[in-house]
Amino acid sequence: MNVEIVDLTRRFGRTEAVAGVSLQAGPGVFGLLGPNGAGKTSLLRMLATVIQPSSGTLRLLGRDPGSYGPRREIRRRLGYLPQNLGYYPGFTVAEFVEYFALLKDMPPSRVPAAVATAVERTGLGDKARAKLRTLSGGMLRRAGIAQAIVNEPDLLLLDEPTAGLDPEQRVAFRALLRDLGERATVIVSTHLVEDVGAACTQVALMDAGKVVFYGTPAELTARADGTDAAGDAPLERGYSAVLAAVRS
Amino acid sequence: MTAAVPAAPARRPRARRVPLALPGRLLRLELRRTIMPWILPLIVALFWLDGYHYAMSFPPFWGLRSPVLPDRAMVDFALFGAGASAWMGSRDGRSRTTDLLAITAVPRWGRQLVTWTATTGWAMAAYLGCVAVLYWSTARQGAWGGPPLWPVAVGAAGVAAGCALGFAAGAFFPSRFTAPLATLAVFILATAVKGGSGSTYGLISPVAPQGSFRPDSGLFFHYLPDLSIDQVLLLAGLAVAALGALGVPAASGGRWLRRSAAAVAAAGLVAAGTAIGLAGTARLEPYGVVIPALHDAASARPIPYTPVCGHAAIPVCLHPAYRAYLPAVTAALGPLLSEVTGLPGAPVRVVQVAYLNPTEFATGGAPTVAGRPALLRLPLGFAVLAQQTQTEFLLSRAAPVIVSSVIGGGPGAGPAQQAAEAGLLRAAGVQLAQLASMGSVYQPPAPGSPVYAAATRFAALPAAARHAWLLAHLAALRAGHITLEQLP
Repeated sequence: MNVEIVDLTRRFGRTEAVAGVSLQAGPGVFGLLGPNGAGKTSLLRMLATVIQPSSGTLRLLGRDPGSYGPRREIRRRLGYLPQNLGYYPGFTVAEFVEYFALLKDMPPSRVPAAVATAVERTGLGDKARAKLRTLSGGMLRRAGIAQAIVNEPDLLLLDEPTAGLDPEQRVAFRALLRDLGERATVIVSTHLVEDVGAACTQVALMDAGKVVFYGTPAELTARADGTDAAGDAPLERGYSAVLAAVRS
Repeated sequence: MTAAVPAAPARRPRARRVPLALPGRLLRLELRRTIMPWILPLIVALFWLDGYHYAMSFPPFWGLRSPVLPDRAMVDFALFGAGASAWMGSRDGRSRTTDLLAITAVPRWGRQLVTWTATTGWAMAAYLGCVAVLYWSTARQGAWGGPPLWPVAVGAAGVAAGCALGFAAGAFFPSRFTAPLATLAVFILATAVKGGSGSTYGLISPVAPQGSFRPDSGLFFHYLPDLSIDQVLLLAGLAVAALGALGVPAASGGRWLRRSAAAVAAAGLVAAGTAIGLAGTARLEPYGVVIPALHDAASARPIPYTPVCGHAAIPVCLHPAYRAYLPAVTAALGPLLSEVTGLPGAPVRVVQVAYLNPTEFATGGAPTVAGRPALLRLPLGFAVLAQQTQTEFLLSRAAPVIVSSVIGGGPGAGPAQQAAEAGLLRAAGVQLAQLASMGSVYQPPAPGSPVYAAATRFAALPAAARHAWLLAHLAALRAGHITLEQLP
């Protein structure tokens, strides 16, 4: 298992953003659904080793990220796209991706090819020499994805990756997700259930810091059976049914 | 976006590059994208208008032009370098890339050092380029001796320290306002120390007016590097402390790395503190600032040189660095020297000597006639030689001493001696009434007095007659056996 978390908790002052979450994930695409403020981003930031858990056990890629040495090894094999992507406006797309490839400690000799591949895979090949300040929101998001995948990570964490992408780009991105999930653990946090339905093999639904559903997209869809849950698509109705059941 | 991994896009074949290690590649990237190259034209223009023209306003002496460097390096390069470095140091916070960068395998401290190196590298390259231009121009003008490197080192350390302090400020307080505030803070820090330069602690500031070098440094005596070493120690210590502090926070790296960073920061602080303490032990010596703990006695040895001399009967000999001034000095002293040529007690040569203290340099030193054969030892520097009234100034200092050495004047001189002195001076074109205003201690006879009348009479004699009379009667005149009436 690339991700093993047991009873993971994260508090910010008196607020418990993540409240005793336990999950396991191996290779494949794992969807993390939930309403705003459910704790998805906090959970993802803990998995990305940005913040440390308040309590609980966390093992990533078979290592304990609590110690510096293992954490550094995890980070070499990690890709992360934060919800709010920061970037250096003066860097070109290729430089931005190269910068993170180098910071991820990739062998320098492999970096140029890896950068070219990542940029091509995100459809930014013709924008490789464009400054980031000149890109649209969707292109910036793809540049963020490119930096996340440049080191061919074993654990890829994507927070709202399709925000700002047009429908055509989202379709292409889902295909990319499925491809990446062939060998790596890809965890996608989103509130767009159609992304989960199209690309994920497993899905967890969070609400108020807890995982309230864990299973396949089909199983989530089935939760709507026999209910009058709201939604325009079967998966959406399953999502609404689970939340309604939890909150009732 | 594509699911399949495509082959890398075809590119034009390029010249094979030398493969760089990871820090080298990061540095290359940062060198391309740091803000510093954008503000370098402004800094270089500022140096050109301010530092370069100011330095070039001095005659081509290394000891005059090189001390401009530490001061202008701080004002022009370190201040703006601090601002640019603060901007780069705050980049992650301003660009909100902290989450992205927090999870990279390369420690934050290492990444920050690379960014600082790139920013400082540009500033340093520009500074050294400006130094090269200034030194090249000075060398082309025939400056004597070799260019001093310590002022360059102090300036370089100032640039590095300014950039390090600015970068640390930006990293710890990331905001768009940090850059201007860091620039202002470094400016205030520099000028505050400069303002307190009355004590020897104030000497340590690179912008302190009382620098390590005297105007004649490198001519008669070697440069004293004591204060420069101390300044480099302070500035390098500040730079190391600031850079070390970057690695102390928990997010900077592992425990070992953070401890190392803390040790580096502590070492920097110790170095800076030591430098300040050493500055307190400094003392001003004739040829520079001496700090006992850093002083090498060999530095105070005179520099051997062969003077350049004129061809008059009493030749004027100057340090070769002042070769250009030889005709002017010879012309200024020539009339008086020709009056006393061959007379007992007259100097056989005029030799330039170094000033003994900075005050002398500004006001002109006191010449003396001493030795056997007698030499007129004349402290001279560009401050005297470069001024419009150099002839009057030289005469006001040297003429009374020369005449006194021949006639034997002074406080106990008799009326005939006083009259002969005044007559000789007037015959040589010295305006007696102006001597006092030029700072001379010579007391001319009061107009209307018998001594004044005798002096006027003596000065009116043909030069040959006067010279012949002095040859015949000088011994009696010096012994006080000549009366005013006997004076021709």
